[in-house]
Amino acid sequence: MTEAAIAVSSRPRTGDLTSFDPSNFDWASFVLSPGKIVGLEGPAGWGLTRLGLSLLAAPSQVGTVVVIDVRGWFSPLAAWQVGVNRHRLVVVRCAERRLWAQVTAAVLEGVAAVYAEIPAGVGENDLRRLAALTRARKAGLALRPLRGVLPPGITHMRVRASGVDWVGPDHGHGRLSGRQLSMEVSGKSIPLREVQFADSSTGVSSSSGVWRQVPGKLAPSPRTIGV
Amino acid sequence: MRTLCVWFPDWPLADIEVEPDRPCFVFEDRSSRVSGGEAQRIRAANVPARRAGVELGMGRRAAEALCPTALVLARDLAAETRRFEQVVLVLEGLIPRVEVVEPGLALVSVEGAVLYYGGEGPLVERVGKELSNIIDHPKSGMRIGLAEGPFAARWAATSADQGPRVIEDTAAFLSTLDISTLEKDELIATFRWLGVSTLGELAGLPREAVASRFGYPGLHAHRLASGEDHAPQPRSIPPHLAVEAFYDDPLETLDQVAFSARALSVRLMLGLRKEGLAPHRVEITAEAAQSNGTGSANGTGGANGTGGKERSRTWRSADPFIEATLTERVWWQLRAWVEQGGVPGGLTRLRLDPSDLSGDGRQLVLLEPVAGLDGTLGWQGYDPARPEVERALARAQALVGPEGVLQASPQGGRMPAEQVLWYRFGEEPGVAERDVSAPWPGATPGPSPALVPPELVPFDIEWDEGIPTRVRLGSRWEPVLNWAGPWRLTGRWWKGEPHADRYQLVTSAGAFLVVVRNGSSFLAGIYD
Repeated sequence: MTEAAIAVSSRPRTGDLTSFDPSNFDWASFVLSPGKIVGLEGPAGWGLTRLGLSLLAAPSQVGTVVVIDVRGWFSPLAAWQVGVNRHRLVVVRCAERRLWAQVTAAVLEGVAAVYAEIPAGVGENDLRRLAALTRARKAGLALRPLRGVLPPGITHMRVRASGVDWVGPDHGHGRLSGRQLSMEVSGKSIPLREVQFADSSTGVSSSSGVWRQVPGKLAPSPRTIGV
Repeated sequence: MRTLCVWFPDWPLADIEVEPDRPCFVFEDRSSRVSGGEAQRIRAANVPARRAGVELGMGRRAAEALCPTALVLARDLAAETRRFEQVVLVLEGLIPRVEVVEPGLALVSVEGAVLYYGGEGPLVERVGKELSNIIDHPKSGMRIGLAEGPFAARWAATSADQGPRVIEDTAAFLSTLDISTLEKDELIATFRWLGVSTLGELAGLPREAVASRFGYPGLHAHRLASGEDHAPQPRSIPPHLAVEAFYDDPLETLDQVAFSARALSVRLMLGLRKEGLAPHRVEITAEAAQSNGTGSANGTGGANGTGGKERSRTWRSADPFIEATLTERVWWQLRAWVEQGGVPGGLTRLRLDPSDLSGDGRQLVLLEPVAGLDGTLGWQGYDPARPEVERALARAQALVGPEGVLQASPQGGRMPAEQVLWYRFGEEPGVAERDVSAPWPGATPGPSPALVPPELVPFDIEWDEGIPTRVRLGSRWEPVLNWAGPWRLTGRWWKGEPHADRYQLVTSAGAFLVVVRNGSSFLAGIYD
């Protein structure tokens, strides 16, 4: 199996989950920190699932991580390729909206980090309760709404897909070997920035110089989950 | 302590129907516990397979190369335990306190029973006769041995292919055995390198020198070779180390019982670990809600004062139990009882009593974090938050069902969906259908799609002279911006599988892995 990696998370993982400092954010340590919540917003097919899984790579070196799979299509192959320890990856399939918050809360009580797809129709109050639980339990939580965007004030960092460039296919020739993911990143103490992630199957590539600060503010979306 | 051993070397074959002249063997998959070498080893082989050169302990691939037409089966320890329960019940009817080592192998101390039956000879004869009444003797190959201590009894049974064998002089018997009977590969290799090839030669070495050179494993080996067998450390067993769980709502399904077995085993091992202990024996006691079960009578328990039926069974291991091995045995035993109707009305109480404790638990605590970080030991690896994880995922299992909480291991295959072997959290991975280490030419190249449907999903693609131009996503059509392929996927024509072509299609809404077969196209993955 070819090893792949999200470039910005490709440096050796030390398992030190307490070094996250939003005011001095180091993109090379793009990991889920204890008690922190990352929101991943954007359409399917723009690389957010693999990016979200790469967030679990570091926590999986020190504890169990969970993927809440709403669609039932999650492939652990992608998680293993971005560095998630396969012995510590548990997939919880939960397609029922009414159970989703309970299930996510239950796993947050015990595991190091969770990547959770959010089904349509989950209430804002449920998300705020989960955020509070995440902070209290010092777990890491990556939230991926399948429809809409997250309400304000839930996440510490919000990553929104803004574009993707595919590398490899050439009208019948070549093969899909990677992609450049463009993301807008913002959050508490993090100015709005556009960041490019290199997601490839050929190993590690440098991410230096690929991010830049975007002038202005990210326009808030009028459509949020639960509204 | 005079010990009787009853061993059925071909127990895994006992319930398998196969033509008399067709080779057949059963392998045991220990991939979750073995980090190097071939994990699938032959555990039992019938006579035609043995004639072809298949030997116990041989790797599965080597055996298949010798016997390509053989019927190859994976070992089902839970089913074997269930079948073995009737043997244990008969044995317990003759001698109390039977200890099960594994399905097909049981030990029992006969100190008191010898007096009752009038000698070791009559006792062995009676055991053989009673067991022959319920067991297909030639097929399962029953062997009975009696000697001083479990180790010598086991090897007495191993050599009892011509009928029951009673060893009077255990030390003399052991002294002729090969050093490989210790079953510790590294230790055996070192002893051979030093010129020690029999247990007698090992027993002749000064014990202090062996202990100094090899530590506890060497000391233990020297004791075995000297006929002293495993000596429980003379420490008292604090009563609080036993663990017990009561269930107000009786557990009635196998899934519930499995989780209770696992949770209690983990609790027991955590408690012992704090004391630096590990058990060689564990007594499992289960109490049913009702006393009128349809199962066989209990050998050691019987109805208790509360009206529930209580059963107990002791399991023994030469190596100290760890969480994984203890959980397996508790689960096998409970399943055997449940499936035989021996827990009428559901399980209301479960208790695990450790005994024969050794200090190996202290070493496990030191070693596990190191071993766990490299990922080779799987869920046996050290995880400081493991109890919380168990509890959290048990709650998730209660909400979504055991089929909804899964782990996965890699297996071979050409399509992403084939390359994943799913199994329930808390259970052992099943046997991979396809060898992950095989080359798999033509496999779909990485990176893998992050979303893979469990089955191929019909997918509308518009073609223009063999070139994909548009794909249908819901109610809209998206133009294909780029594509790669086709790559031919050759089906198993002998099973009627047609050939297919794979494409990677890039649209403004993402990239897709699709399969085109017989003019129809299917979605096989989304590169999200």
